[in-house]
This record gives sequence, C-alpha cells and structure tokens, in this order.
Amino acid sequence: MSDHSLQTRFDRVALVGAIVTLAGATALPFVELRPNRLVPGTVHSLADAGVWMFATWGLVALALLSAVAPSAKARSAASSASAYGLVAVLAWALGEAASTLLVGQTSVARVSIGSGAWVILLGAAVIGFAGGEERKRYLLRRLGPPVLVLAAVVSAFVWGGLDDISLAQEFEVRAESFWQLLAGHLALAGAGVALGAVFGVPLGLWATRDRKVRGVVLGVTGIIQTVPSLALLGLLILPLSALGNAVPFLRDLGVRGIGAAPGLVALTMYALLPIVRNTYVGLAEVDPAVVDAGRGMGMSSRQLLMRVELPLALPLIMEGLRTASVLLIGITTLTVFAGARNLGILIFEGLGQFAPDLILLGALPVIVLAVVVDVALSALAKRLTPEGVRE
Amino acid sequence: MIRLEGVTRRYGDELAVDDLSLEVAEGEVCVLIGPSGCGKTTTLRMINRLIEPSGGSIMVNGRNVMSMRPEELRRGLGYVIQSIGLFPHLSVERNIGVVPHLLGWDKQRMAERARELLHLVGLDPEVYLGKYPRQLSGGEAQRVGVARALAADPPVLLMDEPFGAVDPLNRERLQAEFARIQRELHKTVLFVTHDIDEAIRLADKVAIMRDGRLQQFASPEEVLNHPANKFVHDFVGADRALKRLVRVRVEDVMRSPAIVQEGSEELAFRVAAGRRRFVYVIDAAGKLVGWMDTADLEPDMDPAEALTRVDPAQASVRSDASLRDALSRMLGLGFRAIAVTDDKCRLVGEVTFAAVEEAMTEGDEHITNIAEEDAG
Repeated sequence: MSDHSLQTRFDRVALVGAIVTLAGATALPFVELRPNRLVPGTVHSLADAGVWMFATWGLVALALLSAVAPSAKARSAASSASAYGLVAVLAWALGEAASTLLVGQTSVARVSIGSGAWVILLGAAVIGFAGGEERKRYLLRRLGPPVLVLAAVVSAFVWGGLDDISLAQEFEVRAESFWQLLAGHLALAGAGVALGAVFGVPLGLWATRDRKVRGVVLGVTGIIQTVPSLALLGLLILPLSALGNAVPFLRDLGVRGIGAAPGLVALTMYALLPIVRNTYVGLAEVDPAVVDAGRGMGMSSRQLLMRVELPLALPLIMEGLRTASVLLIGITTLTVFAGARNLGILIFEGLGQFAPDLILLGALPVIVLAVVVDVALSALAKRLTPEGVRE
Repeated sequence: MIRLEGVTRRYGDELAVDDLSLEVAEGEVCVLIGPSGCGKTTTLRMINRLIEPSGGSIMVNGRNVMSMRPEELRRGLGYVIQSIGLFPHLSVERNIGVVPHLLGWDKQRMAERARELLHLVGLDPEVYLGKYPRQLSGGEAQRVGVARALAADPPVLLMDEPFGAVDPLNRERLQAEFARIQRELHKTVLFVTHDIDEAIRLADKVAIMRDGRLQQFASPEEVLNHPANKFVHDFVGADRALKRLVRVRVEDVMRSPAIVQEGSEELAFRVAAGRRRFVYVIDAAGKLVGWMDTADLEPDMDPAEALTRVDPAQASVRSDASLRDALSRMLGLGFRAIAVTDDKCRLVGEVTFAAVEEAMTEGDEHITNIAEEDAG
C-alpha cells in the first residue's frame, strides 16, 4: 500500500531526466570556440547563452515539478511542455552562444556544440518519455508540439544565430551536395530493401514448402549476416567488375566493381536474413487447421496463399522489412568505400580531416532517417494487420 | 450418395486403408468409427482427395472423384474438422462466404445466405455476423464451422470429429442440434468420430474400422444387438444395453397418461378406480402443473391436498429426448415413471420404467451367445 502510494507520488523517469538535464547544463561544456574548424579551442558554459540560460533553468524546474505533480494528467502536461520547451530553448541558446562568442573573431573561427548541449538534449528526451505515456487521440494534439518545436528550431536558424554554429556552417558549405547525398542514401538503402523483399519473400515462401530448401536458405542468409560489411564489399568488387567487363550491356546498366553496384548487392544480401526469416516464420506459424480447412473447401494453392496465408503472415513480413530498412540505413554509410555516394561520405571525410562537425553532419541525418523509417514502418505494419488478428 | 469400392491407401509398406467398400445412401448419416490409427480419417480425406487413394474407386453422386479437379470436387463437399479452422482474419460473415465466394456468388446472395445459416445453427446474425473467430467460444466457433460447410448447400458433408474439441455439455448440445439440422436438410453425411456414444446417437449407419479394415457396417441397433465379431463387441462396450436407449426416442415408447385438469382434482377418485396409480394435473393451456399419487387419497379429504406441484422443466422429459435421458431423469428423481412434455411444457405422455426395461433387454439373447462363443 505504502509502496504503491510512493510510486504515485513522484515520477522517477521525469526525475532522472531532470537530473540528467541539470548535469548537462552545469558540469559539461555547452559550446566550444575554435580558431578554425580543425583545431581544439576553449570551452564555454551555458552562461554564454544569455537569457536562454534562465529559460533552461526554468524548464528544468518544470521537469522537477512534473515529477511531483499530484495528478497523472498534470504530470504528463508538465513533462511534455518541459521536454519540448528544452529542445526549442536549446536551439536558441546555441544560436545565442554562437553569435556572442564569434563577435570579434576571424571568419574561420567556429563554435561547436559541446557535450553539455548533447546531454541536455538527452535529458529532454528522457523527460519527454516520462510525459508520453498518455496516448493522445487527436492528430492535432499529437502533432502540434513537434511542429511548434520544429518551427522554433528553424526560426533559431533564421533569426537566433543558430546558423553560426559550426554544424550549420559545415552544412552551408555543402548544402547542395548534402541533399544529393541524402537522396543517394535513401535511394540505395531503399533499393536494397526492395530487392531484398523481391528475393526474400519468395525465398521465405519456398522455405516453408520444402524442408531441404529451408535448411539451405535460412543457413545461407544467416551466414551472410555474419560476414563483416567491409569484407563483403571487398569480396564483391572483383566478381562484379569481371561481370561488367564480360557483359558490356550490364556495364552500361551500372554493374561495375566500383560504384553503387557492389553496395547494392551487399545491402540486398544483408536485407535477406530479416526478410526471409520473418516471411518463413510468418507463413509457418499459420495454423495448419486453417490451411487444411481452406484446402478442404476447395481453395487452390494460389488462392490459399493470397487470401489466407499471406494476409496472416503480413504483420511478421512487415516487421522483417522494418528491421531490414533500419539495418540498411546504417550499413549504407559503409558502401562509400566501394565508391557509392551517400551520407557516409560526410562521415568518412570528417574522420579523415578530424572535423567532428562534418562527422555529425553525416551521422545525425542517418540516425534521424533510421528513427523516422522505424516509426513510419511500424505504423504501416499496424495498419496492414487484418482487424481480426490485431492485438 | 457416396460409394467406396475396394479403396486402399498405402504408406510405404503399410496399409492405412485396406480394401474398404461401403456405401452411404442419399440423406443418410454414416459414422466411421474405430480406435486411433484405424484409417477412419484417411478414408474421409480420400473422399475430398486431400489424400489420394492408392487403389479402388470413390464415387460421389455418381461421379468418380478422380475424374474431377480436386478444387471443384471440394467446393461441392461440405467440410468440417475438429480444429474448426476458421480464418482468423475474416469476420464470421466472410468465413461463411468462403465457398460461395469461390463459386462466384454475388454479394447480396452471400449476405443473405450467411444470415440464413446463422439462424439455422442457432446464432443471432445481428450479434455474430461481424464478429471475428477469436471473439467466439469453442461451441460458437464450431457452429460457425458447420454453417460455413453448409454455405453453398452441398449435398454431401464430410465431418472429421467435428465435436471432439468441445466440452461434454456443449458436445451433447451440438449433437442434438446437428441431429435437428440433419432432419431438416437430409444431407448425405460421412462423420468420423472415436466416440461410440456419439456414433450411436447420430448414425443411420455405423462403419466400425480396425487397422484399415471394415469390421462391421450396419445400423446402430444392429451393431448393438448383433456385433459382427469380438472386436466390435468389445469396442461397443459392456453398457450396450444403456447405449441402445440412446437410439430410442421417448415419443416412440410413451403411453398416454391419466390426466385431470387443475380444479377438478376430485376426478382423480374416478381414475383411481381404474388401474392408474399416478394422475397428472394440467392447467387450462395443457401445461404440466403436478401429479397426484392416488394411493394417498382418503375418501373424505380434499383431493387438492394430494397434489404435488412440480416444475415441468425439472420433472419431465421432452418428447424428442432419448430413453437414456428419460432413464437418467427417473433415476435422479427416484420415480418409476416420468411425464413427457412438448417444447411449451404441455403434457403429451408418460414413460414408465417398465417401458425402459423392455427397450433395454431387446436383442440381449444374441449378445449373450456371442460372449459365450468368445469365451469358448
């Protein structure tokens, strides 16, 4: 009884988030001022963010308040407001710090985002998680706060000096190629998943029909998954360039040892395991009685597959596509070693030049992309699940 | 009509079904029964070619099943299995519509048919049409399974232990409902079970199998009274006398009771002068009110005092019940006779213990003979 009432009296998650935010705001460098983009510089605290420092403190206090709020509704509202507010304020605080610190500096001086700012962002995520338990029914209420935050971040770019932050300057220098690289990234990963589905779903189906095939297919796709990505790319370069040289038509289509081709082949191979395995499990888990009844009522194998087996296996197949997509968005960065052009280029150029902000410019979109695709495909899978078998 | 001639199914060196011949006449229920592994399910599945026979011929309604496309054959045969196999992603309505859809019926006809069939199997269409299989109880699901098998009005039904997975109470209810539906529709039914009571209750003909071979193919009465061999004798069990009672309906052995109307109990004195000891009392609508034991009547008492009021649902049996139900009710109440009522609790007759006894002993002589032969 007392234990229960203790749990309802304060929200531990929001409390942890508030403490993390507090640590990020006090103990760690907020921004770093460097004479140019490559050399280390001097660290600065949140105090350089002027009035935004007070706003940050206020929002941390709100998070602490939310942890001890009397009702679940008030708790959820306070922690959500705190989390979204922290993200918006963080954008403006970084902008303020950057424009303040750059006054009187040379044009190559840079202000980088410090570890403290990242920790504040993490803390905001934890606080937001605490407030997110209550499901919101209306689209406007669900999408409203993220849209406001996005507007705050964009306006921080335009008016708040956020464009003075080193990350933004790295972007500005490469704005044109950035979008091309992003598109290249999406196209390559998307093509990998699509080809993985084109081969993987039929392979998974075949595995359910033939015991010997099952052993081979599940075994081989499993082994592929254990081959390190770079090694697989290296292994593919020779046979693909030989193939391209031998068949000029294929070479014209882009089958070469260097470029997108080896990357695409490797990505397709990596996509196979989750797709094949989930297709196989989804189809194999269809109740044999259902299949027997369908056949006994006069369905042809094709009708049985299209009307019964595939609809019932669809949620698991979608799950496989989701896993493959998230996996491929990450691995795609490595295909730059075989000559493909995508966000991986920014990461590896950044590593080569020891320019952390350039690395971030490549890595952050990859992370965001993976999260967005994950959420979108989860929602799609839910919609495609037949009503009768939904949880 | 289903005719099997010399049907054989081989698995490697083993014969699952060995030279089986039997014929199910149109509108009859043939129950295939035997211990597990006797080949009864294999036999059933050869008829719709879910298993291909190794030899012999199978005719359904005059056509050799091997001459038809399996899908076309199966769409003309209702199929019910123990595990039901309702499609979990389809509503009850669309489950029932599976075969009509395959046959290309239009939507309106399918919708009407689904309602009609739910009525037939005793489920309210308003409640059940839109439900999904996971929202149904075992008994409800099996009713939907039966409705689905009947959807395209196939002349032949194949039922593989259809009520094997429901609890005993629901099983009896489903059996009774199946018997009622069958009286209405007159399908040609091949019904597989391992439950001898179910076989005796539902069958017009029983086919008893063992190790792929037919042991006896006869009416339930014949099987009970004249088992063909020791295996059948043992399989039917020691309580065959009781089992026989399942086959006899109360209305076939009941006699007309002595009745007086409520308010005119003094008439019972006159009845007592006859040979009936018990007199039933009914109300103006004919409903059973109670009974009087004329042995309790004293010449100077108010005859209404001798009336024992009863709840008709408890102290009577329905006319379409089996004699076994009547007997168990009598034993439970400690009566030597029991009132028979119709579906509106109106008194229609009386069954006595003597009549039950008579039905029980019929044909026993022969059975004693077989048992002695086997012993010797």
